[in-house]
Amino acid sequence: MIRRVVWTPIVLAGALAAGGCDEKLKSVAGPTPNLEPTFASIQREIFESTDSAGRTACTQCHTSTGRNPSGGLNLNHDVAYDQIVNVPVRGKPGAIRVIPGDPDNSYLVQKLEGSSAIVGRRMPSNGPPYLTDGQILILRRWIAIGAPRN
Amino acid sequence: MRFTKRGSIALSLVFGLCLPSALLAQEAGGGDDVAALKLAEPDFTLVGLPTSLRVPTFRGSFRVTHRFRRPLNDGDFGDLAADLFGIDSGAQIGLEFRFGIVPNGQVGIHRVSNRTIEFFGQYSLWRQGGAMPVDVSALATIEGTNNFKDSYSPALGAIVSRTVNDVVALYVEPIWVNNTNALPKQLVDHNDTFIVGVGARVRVRPTVYLVGEYAPRASGDHPGVSHIAFAIEKRAGGHMFQLNFSDGFGTTLAEIARGGPQGHDWFMGFNITRKFF
Repeated sequence: MIRRVVWTPIVLAGALAAGGCDEKLKSVAGPTPNLEPTFASIQREIFESTDSAGRTACTQCHTSTGRNPSGGLNLNHDVAYDQIVNVPVRGKPGAIRVIPGDPDNSYLVQKLEGSSAIVGRRMPSNGPPYLTDGQILILRRWIAIGAPRN
Repeated sequence: MRFTKRGSIALSLVFGLCLPSALLAQEAGGGDDVAALKLAEPDFTLVGLPTSLRVPTFRGSFRVTHRFRRPLNDGDFGDLAADLFGIDSGAQIGLEFRFGIVPNGQVGIHRVSNRTIEFFGQYSLWRQGGAMPVDVSALATIEGTNNFKDSYSPALGAIVSRTVNDVVALYVEPIWVNNTNALPKQLVDHNDTFIVGVGARVRVRPTVYLVGEYAPRASGDHPGVSHIAFAIEKRAGGHMFQLNFSDGFGTTLAEIARGGPQGHDWFMGFNITRKFF
């Protein structure tokens, strides 16, 4: 009985201490340390910002501000979500820019990774630098969890 | 700073195991001879999973683990023979030392050549005999990659075992391992794994044993295939020589929880244990 009394809090304390171990998202996000798997964060850190590695903002070309958006894709923050989620690709019949829950078949991911299935160049078109593996991993996670408008 | 925080967790776990046993040392110490050979349970591990065997106070044991990284099923038999069944290939090597710090309580360190360091502590709560049908031990570990500077994976579990005569030892080991996924929790569905290890050791000759273990993942992250291993071993005095075959090369609890690589590859390896008592 005494043994149980002594052990219980120690095991519980160990479990609580153990529960705190995790990798930091920042260690994956690389040149965009504030990047998270949310649409708002991706919009801010990827679409609209040039990162510290020199990868240019998508909205340098994909914007309706002062020009026609490249590829018919406008990533300005007020329209970006409706431009990509469940939207067909203009230059490749059958392809969808972002398929919620399916990052592998989302054309946005394929373009950013430089898949052999893409039409045209890997994005960003003036790369390298391109998005890092970690940045793409975070973008993939957002799509994998359903590409919510969050 | 980060190391200090993680190090304190490791020390808390290890010494957390020792404190109660120290308090209860007198109660638990008398009676059985911990240093005596247990014929059905001669070693501190099966292949990778721990056993209930205790270390006498202020005595120790050293173990070498060796897992050749060449899959045995890669290529035909001629290829395999040309590589001397994988011995020509690189290996993942582990060095381990455990020490009986108090009666029924042991602590240890296991360092793997991939630079993972695991600290562990184990305390024997109840022992088989009388009305008690099984041995029960508590287990706590924490391991960190890059020489315990990155990616910490703590584990808590129990070892429930029963020996039958001096011939068979059976094990059930529910173990929870945290941070088994190397990615941040925001990017994964599960960041821990609950395994229920089962295993057995059978003495088929006076000093020869057959060993098997399986660690299915009951819940949580479960990449690859569940750890499974079997072995044949020979006891010679204070030594135990084991030749083993497994579907992965994990020797720490987090590595075992992560399982083996996809493809059902099999690897050969060996363990050598030397008891200093």
